[in-house]
Amino acid sequence: MREPILKVNNLHYSYGNGNPALDGISVDIYKGEKIAVIGSNGSGKSTFFLNANGVLKADHGEISYQGTVINKKNLRELRKNIGIVFQEADNQIIASTVMAEVGFGPMNLKLPKEEVIERVEEALSYMNILDFKDRPPHYLSGGEKKRVTIADVIAMKSEVIIFDEPTAALDPLNAQMLEEVLVKLGEEGKTMLISTHDVDFAYRWAERAIVFDQGKIIADGTPLDIFKNTGILEQANLKRPAMLDVYEMLVEKKMVADTKDYPTSPQDLKVLLEKQFKFA
Amino acid sequence: MNTSLNIREKRFIAVVAAIALVFGFTPVANAMHIMEGYLPVGFCIAWGVICIPFLIAGYMSMKKTLKENPKTITLLAMAGAYVFVLSSLKIPSVTGSCSHMTGTGLGAILFGPAPISILGLIVLVFQSTLLAHGGVTTLGANTFSMAVAGPFAAYGIYKLGLKLKINKHVVVFLAAALGDFFTYLITSFQLALAYPSEAGGVAASSIKFLAVFAPTQIPLAIIEGILTVVIIIGLETYAQPELNDLGYLTGGVR
Amino acid sequence: MENSLGKSINFIRTSEKAEHQVTHHHKIGHKHGEGSAIDFYAYASKLRCWNPTFKVVFSFLTLLLCIGLNNPFVSIAVIIGMAYLTVLKGGLSLAAYISVLMIPITFIIMGTIAIGVDFSSQPIGQFNLFLGFGYLFTSVDKLQEMAFLMLKVFGAISAMIMMTLSTPSSEIIGVLRKAHVPKLIIELMNLIYRYIFILMDVFNNMRNSADSRQGYCDFKTSCTTFGSVASNLLVVSLKKANAYYTAMEARGYEGDLIFLEDEKKMPMRHLVIGAAFIIFLIILGIMTH
Ligand SMILES: Nc1ncnc2c1ncn2[C@@H]1O[C@H](COP(=O)(O)OP(=O)(O)O)[C@@H](O)[C@H]1O
Ligand SMILES: [Mg+2]
Repeated sequence: MREPILKVNNLHYSYGNGNPALDGISVDIYKGEKIAVIGSNGSGKSTFFLNANGVLKADHGEISYQGTVINKKNLRELRKNIGIVFQEADNQIIASTVMAEVGFGPMNLKLPKEEVIERVEEALSYMNILDFKDRPPHYLSGGEKKRVTIADVIAMKSEVIIFDEPTAALDPLNAQMLEEVLVKLGEEGKTMLISTHDVDFAYRWAERAIVFDQGKIIADGTPLDIFKNTGILEQANLKRPAMLDVYEMLVEKKMVADTKDYPTSPQDLKVLLEKQFKFA
Repeated sequence: MNTSLNIREKRFIAVVAAIALVFGFTPVANAMHIMEGYLPVGFCIAWGVICIPFLIAGYMSMKKTLKENPKTITLLAMAGAYVFVLSSLKIPSVTGSCSHMTGTGLGAILFGPAPISILGLIVLVFQSTLLAHGGVTTLGANTFSMAVAGPFAAYGIYKLGLKLKINKHVVVFLAAALGDFFTYLITSFQLALAYPSEAGGVAASSIKFLAVFAPTQIPLAIIEGILTVVIIIGLETYAQPELNDLGYLTGGVR
Repeated sequence: MENSLGKSINFIRTSEKAEHQVTHHHKIGHKHGEGSAIDFYAYASKLRCWNPTFKVVFSFLTLLLCIGLNNPFVSIAVIIGMAYLTVLKGGLSLAAYISVLMIPITFIIMGTIAIGVDFSSQPIGQFNLFLGFGYLFTSVDKLQEMAFLMLKVFGAISAMIMMTLSTPSSEIIGVLRKAHVPKLIIELMNLIYRYIFILMDVFNNMRNSADSRQGYCDFKTSCTTFGSVASNLLVVSLKKANAYYTAMEARGYEGDLIFLEDEKKMPMRHLVIGAAFIIFLIILGIMTH
């Protein structure tokens, strides 16, 4: 059995107003996994992420990164290896030029200046925004700001990248751009956790889904299993992905044979239909 | 009218008086930033030096706050940005003119006078780089009138009023309005000191500057007082926890 | 007492429109009122690629000479030199340049008149006017002093805005850092500069939403609306302060706010021409003393 890259054990966290925001979270995350974190507003996703990165300190429970339990001393290791792209770009961007912004993380890692510059340029080209280098963030559009915040984390070369509701404020074109970046990062073997309310996206992108509800994990499994489980969907107030409905309707009406090969996108469905009708 | 005045001279005086009146009553008003170039080098330096003790005191108090609670850094910066933004907003007025608050009275009440000296200095720098108000060489003089004298006066009046158990909102009004008024007094004095009147010296010159700026500055001080009260009422209604948060900076508004 | 402040809300440009205007810089400031988008012009200036330390030191020396020499010829030389740099070299439109220069015009006129005109109980001076309680008087010398003062002030202002119209504030802060301004102040300046734009954005949204609900229909309503928008803005800024701290920590912030700064080349040519201009001013000042 392989070793989890991030192991979270019985995490409890409360913001100090009595109600627990996290109420006994345990989860193992393996290298290269693509995980969708779903759950309604206020269910504790962001709080979990901030704990995972070590910004919030859990009241109870422990976090291990690659087998080492995180304490005050090696907190830095955790911050370095787990990067968060925050939900609101404007709450993340702190510098006054794009270059200084993307360089902020590497500078905090106390890298030599040449390496910082190299990483910044690499991250900016990765996100296709090298031209923006000298621009101030307040003259960028929403989608461009999002790219800058992703470049922020890429420049830190974090092993695990967390995206907190990345698609929330993006137009379709930028959402598409984001998905392409996610695929590219996935191909490079990055471990990714993404919280989202877009079940269609979670269904087509993720290999694993974790469902939060009132500070607890109520389900953890493949997106297919989770979205087929009506009980969980009801408890967490989730919709079913459109492609799952379409596929089951087609099967029910005997229009396609049930191969258990669930299509997650229209393209998949097209491939499936072509395959079935060639041999039918 | 003096008999020695010929027609041309009369016309000239009339024009000067007209300009003075027009601009005196032009409803454009803002905090009194002394513009770049107005003060001779000696005065620029002297006012800068006078500010130093206040700035050091502010710096020390900030350092101490930050040591106790590092998170205050973003809070302090937000406070500075808030004062800047507040001072760049057009405030409502009856005549449709455009005036602006200084925001330093409110700042002093909320955050205390010590951090305001440093924040005020930074705000003044940005006002000159982002808005072209004030200047680099007059920074010392402007810091003294707007980031030291005004806020300290406002804070003093606020504390005194609370001690005397005067109605809190009246105290806030007085603190903000008089703080503004005090800034106006100091600025006029600063200008008079640099440009004393030939006939009556600094005192006469002060009166001239006070008179020239009075039509814009006195109503402005009153409006600043009113708006500060409105803002404080707003904060008391729906931001009590945030007001308590500010306790980090001052010991709080209570 | 500055003029054209009414537009100040608009010129702190917020994200949506700005980007398009950076690319088409002939359009800058087109919509949003004159005399305003100061820092914004800096991003579009052709002088932006110049070494910021050079620009700051050069404009500061010019400013000091303009004030220190207190000489109308020097003032005129500075006004011309700075206009040449900002407009011809920097590519700012003349109209925009003049409107920026005119921002402090009200203060200048009022302040200068107060200096040039004096009160007395005696009818002294070359020109005087009896006002019942005393005489308002002035003289040719006084008027000349006023004119020279105006020249000096415009010279000083043009020296300073040469810097601000070509150097974004973040780069000016970088120069201050190199000049050993205390670290805490530099950190605060960096953060405040960024936050100003964030809060402006929030403010614009709140104001528009209040406006769309008739929040500014009369004076009294305007006051209440202004008050609640302003207090709301404070609440938002305090919340954001926390969010920012969190985001900084997440990227390894441990108490030292250090930003990557671009190193811009310092060509010998700039240094030589800059020094020549400064020396020219000094000689001009001494010759025409
Ligand atoms: N800064 C905060 N202070 C106090 N309570 C908070 C704070 N942030 C979140 N909470 C509370 O913690 C719970 C979990 O919130 P969050 O983690 O933001 O949920 P999600 O990201 O899933 O929407 C909610 O009840 C929320 O109200
Ligand atoms: Mg969230």
